[in-house]
This record gives sequence, structure tokens and C-alpha cells, in this order.
Amino acid sequence: MIPLSSMGRLVRGGERLSYGHYAVDASQWQALWHMSAVALPMLSFWADELRAYGLFLEGDQPLLVSTAIDDKRYVGPSQRYPVAEWGERVAFDLYGVEAMDVPGDGRSALDGGAWDITWPLAQRPGPGGSHGGALKASKAPFWVDGNGVSGVFGLVPDGQQGGICAEQCEAGLGHRGVIAQLLGRTPDEAMGLVSRMSAGGYVAYPLALARAFMQAEGRSIEPAIRDGWMVLLEIERISVHLHDVMLTACAMDAGVLAAHCTHAREALARVCVDHGATRRLTDMIRKEGYRRGVEIVPLAQAVLREMKPRLSKLALLVDVYAPRLAGLAVLPVDLARGLAIGGPLGRSSGRSLDLRRAENGMRLDALRATGASEGDARARQAVRMTEMFDSLRLLERILSSFGLGDADEAYPAIPQAIHQEGLGAAEAARGDVWVWVRLKEGRIDAVHMRDPAVPVVAALGRIMMDMDVTMMPLALRSLGLSTAGVAQ
Amino acid sequence: MKSRTVSLINAFLDVRRWRAHAPAGGGHHLPISLYFLETGSCEGCAMELETLCGGAYALEQNGFRRVLQPEDADWLLVTGAVSRRCAERLDHVWRAMPAGKSLIAIGRCAVDGGPFAGGYATLGGLAGLTRVQRSVPGCPPEPAAILAALVAFREGKAA
Repeated sequence: MIPLSSMGRLVRGGERLSYGHYAVDASQWQALWHMSAVALPMLSFWADELRAYGLFLEGDQPLLVSTAIDDKRYVGPSQRYPVAEWGERVAFDLYGVEAMDVPGDGRSALDGGAWDITWPLAQRPGPGGSHGGALKASKAPFWVDGNGVSGVFGLVPDGQQGGICAEQCEAGLGHRGVIAQLLGRTPDEAMGLVSRMSAGGYVAYPLALARAFMQAEGRSIEPAIRDGWMVLLEIERISVHLHDVMLTACAMDAGVLAAHCTHAREALARVCVDHGATRRLTDMIRKEGYRRGVEIVPLAQAVLREMKPRLSKLALLVDVYAPRLAGLAVLPVDLARGLAIGGPLGRSSGRSLDLRRAENGMRLDALRATGASEGDARARQAVRMTEMFDSLRLLERILSSFGLGDADEAYPAIPQAIHQEGLGAAEAARGDVWVWVRLKEGRIDAVHMRDPAVPVVAALGRIMMDMDVTMMPLALRSLGLSTAGVAQ
Repeated sequence: MKSRTVSLINAFLDVRRWRAHAPAGGGHHLPISLYFLETGSCEGCAMELETLCGGAYALEQNGFRRVLQPEDADWLLVTGAVSRRCAERLDHVWRAMPAGKSLIAIGRCAVDGGPFAGGYATLGGLAGLTRVQRSVPGCPPEPAAILAALVAFREGKAA
């Protein structure tokens, strides 16, 4: 039993809206950011026109707190939690709600003066270009292509001191209005769009959403479906790790390693197709199961046969090239913990959290990778490699007891609860994805998706500190940074 | 230790054995320079382009090379729906390319915006902005399909 923290007690002093979600008044909300006690790690912050939300982690369990927004203003958490700054900027761009008492300069995250409508999700949007006078995007010259990020990321190197001008970098250039498209959709309609949220989470994103729907609708999931989801998630983990190891290898001129990774990933894609799945596992997760026609058990068996010999050779090659990555782009332990950075980045920087360990039905003995604390590119590469072996081991364990155990039950309903709410999560290859959803008359009334890259972007300034510009593409590739889920 | 050494040698030999070759009669063209531009999507198509350059496909043997400056590029390969904030960059890159350039849409989003078409944030795909003569369908397309399409385009066949 984890003792309640002071912060947890304060949150629980509010009104309980759903399982793990408490509403607090403005004074309690403000007190959260001024407590002297050790703070709970914040996973995400977001706001709409009516409420502001903070998602915390208490032990390995989520704790959600929200407060009503008065006159489009609220006290911003970024004064205590730097990771909240992105959510504050996004909320202003989408809804025009403003964070008070915050250290940031109020720069636009997504709009940047390019939209023909201002605050598009507000009840009363404004004409384009009226984005609050000084609240414009960075005018710095961006380095976008060839900077080491596959997606759209405006990097601004600091020409004088080395490293980057973190406060001027742009992660929202690729914004595509996903939240606006999701509102009003039925859960089944939403699954397809969320399946295209990020190529690093073709399985993880819809899985987190399916789990959130499960909670919101009070449904249970039978063990065979739960195990099928786990199998698909592990196959995706291997595929994405292979891609990220390949990218790092290419950037450090390790062509042999890159070729092995690419061949292995393409072999994995062929195995998926041969067993009724799609190459990259797009559109596999359904709200209550997975795509019809996929042969989960034979698929897992074939993945084991195909990947085992390949991973053994890959591990040797990763080891051979490892010295080239030593000491590069270090993510310090305190930063990883403070920003709640997950996935292989967090686990190579002393933050061992892995959401799979808390999942019902997980074969815990298969998860051996406990991570490292060096926090450099070498440690990240090694952790990815170890996690791929863990995934194979987990597939073996699942196959030996497929469909056994208890059903995944939804949390008990809260008496007199007005809203249908659910919070779902999935441990994606690049970190933990969280989805919160509220349903009204069978349609999505509010939704938030937390991408694991958000805290990584917040940490970039320190990770890249004093770095020579020529090393930046390798550093960013070693982080496996994707902005697809950040910009949404 | 001995088995580790043998395994390592085998790993290096594997790559030699897998080395992709251009089809007979190919490979004598002047290389065509490709510039990749992502304009807002799940990044799946951009990842497939990275895979194409990852050593398993005969990109260079078929007479293509990736460049990192639009001034050096012959063909522009666009992935993703065109977000409003990337539209200006797309225009800038296109204008920076030398004469004789060609525009190719990779994947469904680049053609018509895919699931991200419409709304306040994107301009849809390239089809809504200009006439797209060359495109590679798929969501995301396979690297082998992208390569086959590039070869076909070079031979003058439109997709």
C-alpha cells in the first residue's frame, strides 16, 4: 500500500467525478502549485474552455484533478511543473483560455498566425491572425530537414554557446486538428483516426483509447482479447525499436547495423502480413477487440521464429558500435524523474516505470529489463535492445497461457456520477501513452491524448546543452523523437 | 569468445550477401537527387522513406540519392497532409529547387490529406494546391512500392 502524499490528500479533498478523478475549487487548485511537500510527478496538463486538468502519477496509478475555468483564466501549473507549459500554450491556441502566474512568454504552440480562425475550438472563435498581439510564434530560423527528427520539428541551434535555444524550438508545426475531428464522433468512428496519431504507436494509441472507452462504458475485456492486445503491442515495440536503432546507426555511419535492423523490421512486416495483420499493424485495434482475420497465436509464434536469431546478431552489432555513443546527449536522472519521461529514454536514465508491470494479466517474470542510469545514447541503444529480448520472452509467456486468467474489469462506477469518463494507457515503444475521454450520449464530448514525446521536448534544452551542431542529428535520432503525437 | 567472433563475422557477411543490386540494364543513369519533406502526419510515410535509406533497398543502385538541401534536389518527395504552418515551408523548398524539378506525393495524406483533410489546421493534400502528376498510394506505402514507383517515374511512367 502506497501512503497517500500530501498532494494526493489535497486532490482527494475535492469532489469525486469518476474513478481517480477529483474536481477541486480554485483555491485548492492554486494550493497544488505552491505546496512545499514533495510533488507527485505530472504526466500531462490540458484545458478546454470550461475546465483545466492535471494528470499525476501516484505510485503507478493515475490521479486526475480538474478545476473550473473562470472567465477564460486559470492559475497555470507550469510555475511548478515545466512539463505543463506545452499544454498551457495549446489550450490558449485552441480555446483562448489563458494561464496566469506562469513563467513562459505565452508564445503560440500551434497557430503561429497561420490559421484563418483564432481559438478554433472556442464557443466564439475569432478571425484568423488575431492571436493576442505579442503571442506569436518564434521568428528564429528553423533547422527542420535533416536535423534528426523524421517529423516536422523546428530546431534552433544556439550559434554562440552551443546547444539549442530550447524556448524558440517549434514542435507544433505539423498540427492537424485531431481533437477537433474527434469531438462528436462515436467511439467506433474515433478508433480509425486515433490509429493514425503516431507511427510509433499504431497499436499503442488506439489501445489506450480502447481501454479508456472500456472504463467509460463500464465494460470488461475477456482474457483472450487482453492477451491479443498484448501480443500486438509487443510486436509493435520490436518494430519501432528496430527503426530507432536503425536511425541511430545510420547517423553514426554504422551501415552494417542499420542494414541488419532494416532487414529484421521488414521481415517482421512480412510475418505480420502472412498472418492476416497489416505490415506496420495499422488499424489492428478495435474498441472491443482486434481486427477480424488476424491469427494472433500463429502470428506470435512466427514472430518468435523470425526474430530470435536476428536479435542475437543485432545485439552483438549494437555492442560493437556502442562506444561511438558513449556520453552523447545525456538525459540526467533528475530531469527524467522530474518530467516523468518514460519509455527507453526514462528507463536508461534511472526512471524504471513501465506501465506493463501494473497491467492485469501481465506475465511479470518476462520483464527483466530494469534499465540503466547513464542516460546517454549508448544506454538508450542498449535498453532498446534488452527490451526487444524482453518482448520475445513475453510473447513466449503469453503463448504458454493464452487467454487464461481473469477478465479485465472496468473500475466500479461512481454513484451519482454525471459523466461517462475513462482513462486508458498503453506502454508504447517510445513511452507511456495516456488517453482520457468523456462520453455524452454515446459520442465523444471531451478527449485528451498524452504523447510520450511531450516531456522529451521539454527536456531538450538540457539534453543538448553545449552540444556541437554537427552532433545534433545523431543525438536527436538516439532519442527517437517524434512530434506526430505532440503536434496532433 | 570464439563463437562471438564467428557470429560477428557472419553478421558482416550477411550484409554483403543481402547487398541489393540494381536490375540488369539499370544503374547507368545519372543519379536523381531526392529531397524528403514531411508536412504534418503520423510520420508513417516519413519512416518508410527512412527505411528506404536504411540499407535493405537498392535505392542508390537504382540511381537515386538522398540530399539534405533543396538546392541540390531534382525530385521533391512530400509526406503528410499540408499543415497550414508547413505550407510556407513547402513553397520555400519548391522554389529553392533548380529547374527541371518534380513533385511526388508519397502516401494518401500527401495526395488528399487523408484522415486529416479539412478543418482549420491543414490545407488537405497536394492535390488541393496543385496538379499532382506523380504519387505513390498507401497508408503508409511499402518501401519496395515507393522504390518501384520512383523507378517507373524515371522511366517516364506516371502512377
